[in-house]
Amino acid sequence: MAKSKNSFGRRGFLKNAAGAAAGAAAIVTGAPQAKGQTQATPARSGAPGAAPGPTEAQLFREAGNIQPPVEVRKITRPGSDLMIQAVKELGVEFAAANPGSSFEGIQESVINYGDPPNVMPEWITALHEESAVTMAHGYAKAEGKPMLAVLHGTIGIQHAAMSIYQAYYDKVPVLMFAGNDVDFIPAHTAHDMAGMVRSYTKWDAEPKTVDEALVAIQRAYNEAITPPMGPTLVVLSSEIQKENSPNVRIPAYQPPKFPTIDTTTARDLAKSLLAAENPRIAVGRLRTPEGVKRAVELAELVGASTSTAATQGPMSFPQRHPLCGPGADTKYDYTLGLETPGAQVSITGPQLAAVARVRDTTNIDFGGILKPSEFGRRGPVEKSAMPIEADAEASLPLLIEEAKRQLTPEQKARIQARSAKHAQANHDAHVAALEQAVERAKAGWNASPISTARIYAELWPLIMHEDWCFASPSGFSGGHNAQLWEHNKPYSYLGGQGAGGMGYGAPAVMGAGLAAKARKRIVINIQTDGDMNYAPGVLWTAVHHKLPVLSVMHNNRAWHQEYMFIQYMAGVRGRGPERAIIGNTLRDPFIDYAKMAAGYGMAGEGPISDPTKLEAALRRGMESVKRGEPYMIDVITQPR
Amino acid sequence: MKNAFGYWFLAAALAALPLALNAQQRKVVPAPTSPVTGNAAKGKALYYSYGCYACHGYSGETGARPFVGTWGHLSTEQTFITFLRGRVNVAPVVPSASMPNFSAAVLPEARAKDLYAYIRTFKSSAPGAKDPTLSAIVDAAKQEKN
Repeated sequence: MAKSKNSFGRRGFLKNAAGAAAGAAAIVTGAPQAKGQTQATPARSGAPGAAPGPTEAQLFREAGNIQPPVEVRKITRPGSDLMIQAVKELGVEFAAANPGSSFEGIQESVINYGDPPNVMPEWITALHEESAVTMAHGYAKAEGKPMLAVLHGTIGIQHAAMSIYQAYYDKVPVLMFAGNDVDFIPAHTAHDMAGMVRSYTKWDAEPKTVDEALVAIQRAYNEAITPPMGPTLVVLSSEIQKENSPNVRIPAYQPPKFPTIDTTTARDLAKSLLAAENPRIAVGRLRTPEGVKRAVELAELVGASTSTAATQGPMSFPQRHPLCGPGADTKYDYTLGLETPGAQVSITGPQLAAVARVRDTTNIDFGGILKPSEFGRRGPVEKSAMPIEADAEASLPLLIEEAKRQLTPEQKARIQARSAKHAQANHDAHVAALEQAVERAKAGWNASPISTARIYAELWPLIMHEDWCFASPSGFSGGHNAQLWEHNKPYSYLGGQGAGGMGYGAPAVMGAGLAAKARKRIVINIQTDGDMNYAPGVLWTAVHHKLPVLSVMHNNRAWHQEYMFIQYMAGVRGRGPERAIIGNTLRDPFIDYAKMAAGYGMAGEGPISDPTKLEAALRRGMESVKRGEPYMIDVITQPR
Repeated sequence: MKNAFGYWFLAAALAALPLALNAQQRKVVPAPTSPVTGNAAKGKALYYSYGCYACHGYSGETGARPFVGTWGHLSTEQTFITFLRGRVNVAPVVPSASMPNFSAAVLPEARAKDLYAYIRTFKSSAPGAKDPTLSAIVDAAKQEKN
C-alpha cells in the first residue's frame, strides 16, 4: 500500500516526536546531529567491561532540562470523521464489527464523532467478522439497503470471507470497510487486501487520500445497491483514517442510475397489459420495499392476477393481496415477469455471471458448474419469449405512468370487475390451500419430540396480528411457513442462505433484529441446531443490543441431511447404515441451548419435548420479545 | 461448504416435498392388517440403530416419508422385505437421501420382520377436527376481507 504523502499516522507522530526531542537536545548542547544518531544508543567504551558513557540526551535529561514533546500537530478533523459523516449521509444505520486495531480511527469516530456524540451509524459489537457481515446480509434483506460491516485487515477479511461469498450469491447489498494498518503487525496487512475476496465482491477500492476515500465510499454504496446487488469493500489505511483533514469536503452524493426500460418499451408493455383479457404479473424478488409498492400499484391498475415469491424470500408481492393467487381464470393471455420469468416478457436485472466473469481474478469459476442462469436461487428458469435486461423496480414507474396514460374508462370498468372476481377466487383458493396445510400439520401433532409443523402452527396465532419478520431459512425445518403463514410485508420472510452455507441463519436473524428494533417489529428465528453452532456469539450481540428476536430451536440433534446421505451411501455399498451417526449427530453430549443462551445472558427455557408445553413457552417468549428482550426456547424436535 | 449449491438445492427439494404433496390432498391410507411375526421391542431398537427415524420421524408420522397414513411398501412383511432388498446398489454422483438398500447381509430377514413389527405399532397422533389452534388458523383466514 502506498502511503499518503502528507500522512500523519500514529507511528509517524511517534517518529516525529522522537526526532523533535533529539533535535532539541542537539540545539541545546550544540553537538552536531549525525545521521543515525537520533536514537539514544549508549556509546561503547573501548575498554572491555567498562561502563558505557552517557549519551548527550541522557546528560540533558539528567540536568533536568528535558521538555515535554512539542505538540506538533493537533488533529482537528480526522479523516475518519468525514468517512463516517459520508456513511451517515447515505442513511447507513449500523456498523457491525469485531474490534481490530486497523480501524481504530473509524471506530473512534463512530462512537465519539459529533456533539452530542454520534448515534448513527450505531456501532454493533460482533463476536466474529463472519457474524458482522452476515448481520449486514440479514439487515439488507429486511430493509433493502446496506449497513456497514467493518473488518480488521487480512485476518478480518478472511474470517468474513464465507459470509461475503454468501451475500454475493444472494445478490445482497453489503457495504464493508477493512482497516489496513501497514506498520503495526505485518501478518495483518497486505499489498492488495481486497484481492483475497475480489472474486466474490462486486466492487472494491483502496483509496490513498481522504478525498479519494469519500468518493470510494459513495461509489461502494452505489455499486452495492445497483443490480446485480452485492457486497462491496473499501480498504482504508489507518493513516488516512487519522489524517487531519480540515479542508476536505464530502462530495455531493449522486444516486446511481438503474438500468430501466425505455419509453417505447414501456408504452408497448402497458398496451399489452391493458389489452389483455386476463393478464398476469409474475413477481420475483425486487430490490426494495418501494419496488413492492410499485408492483402492487401496477397490478391494481391493470387488474392482473399475480404470483409471488414472498414465501421464498423478501421483497415480493404481498401473499394475501386480493390479486395474489391463481385468479378467477388461469388461462392467462399475457404474462409479464418482474425479476422472474414471464410467458411473454420478463424484465430482469443483469445477471450475477456478468459481474463474476470480470471479478473472478482467481479463475476458480465460482458457480460455473451451476450456471446461475440455469440454477439460480429460484430454481430452473423458464424462458421468456422476450427477456428485457433492465431493473424491474426502476422500470415500474415508467410502466405505471404509461398504463395510467393509456387507460380508457371502458378498460377501467372491465378491470374493476375482473379484479373483484380475482379477489374472491384468490381468497377461496387461499382458504382451501390452508385447510389442506392444516390437515398436513396434524401429522405428528401430539408426538414427542415435537413436530416442526406444530412449531409453525403454534407460532402463527401468536404473531399474525404483530408486525413480524421471519428471518431464518425455513428449508431444513419443513418450510411450513409457506402455507400456514401469510407473507404480506416485503420483509415477511427473508429466505435462504444464498450460497447454501450453514452458519448464516443465526447472524442473519440478528441483522434482521437490528432492522426490527427501531421499527417496533419482532423477528422470528426457527433456528436449526447445526447452524446455531457456527457463531453462537450472536446470542450475546442480541442481548447486548436488545434485539427483539424470538429464537425457537429446531433441535434435532443431528445434521439429518448428511445423515441420510451416508445412510444411503452405506446401503448401496452393502455395509449398512448403523454407523452413519458417526460425524453426523450432535449427541454424547446433547447440547442444551437454553443454557447456552443463558451463558450469553439471554432469557430462555427448555429443552421442551412435550408438545403440550410448547404454546405456553412460545407465549412467554413473545412477551419477552415485545419488551425488547430476546428469548430462546430449546425445542427437541422430530428430525424434519 | 462442500458442493454448497447442490446441498442447498437438495435440501430445498426435500423441504418442498411435503408442500408438493400438500398441493393435492393426500389420501389417508388405513394401517395394514396383515400378519405380523416379528418382535416389536427388538424392532424398536433396530429402528433407532439403523436410523430409520431420520427420514420417517420418531413415530413414523413426520419427515420426508411418513408411514402413518400412507403405509407405502408396508402392506405385508414380505412386501416390506422385497422393498428393502430391491433398492438401487449403485451410488449416484449427486448425494441421495433416498431409501437405502438393505441386503440380507446387512439386515437379515428375522431382523427385518422385527423392524416391520415395530413400524406397525405406529399410530396417528393427529388431533381431532376441531383442534383449537389449527381451527383458529383457518377461521382467521376465512374472516379476512378481500
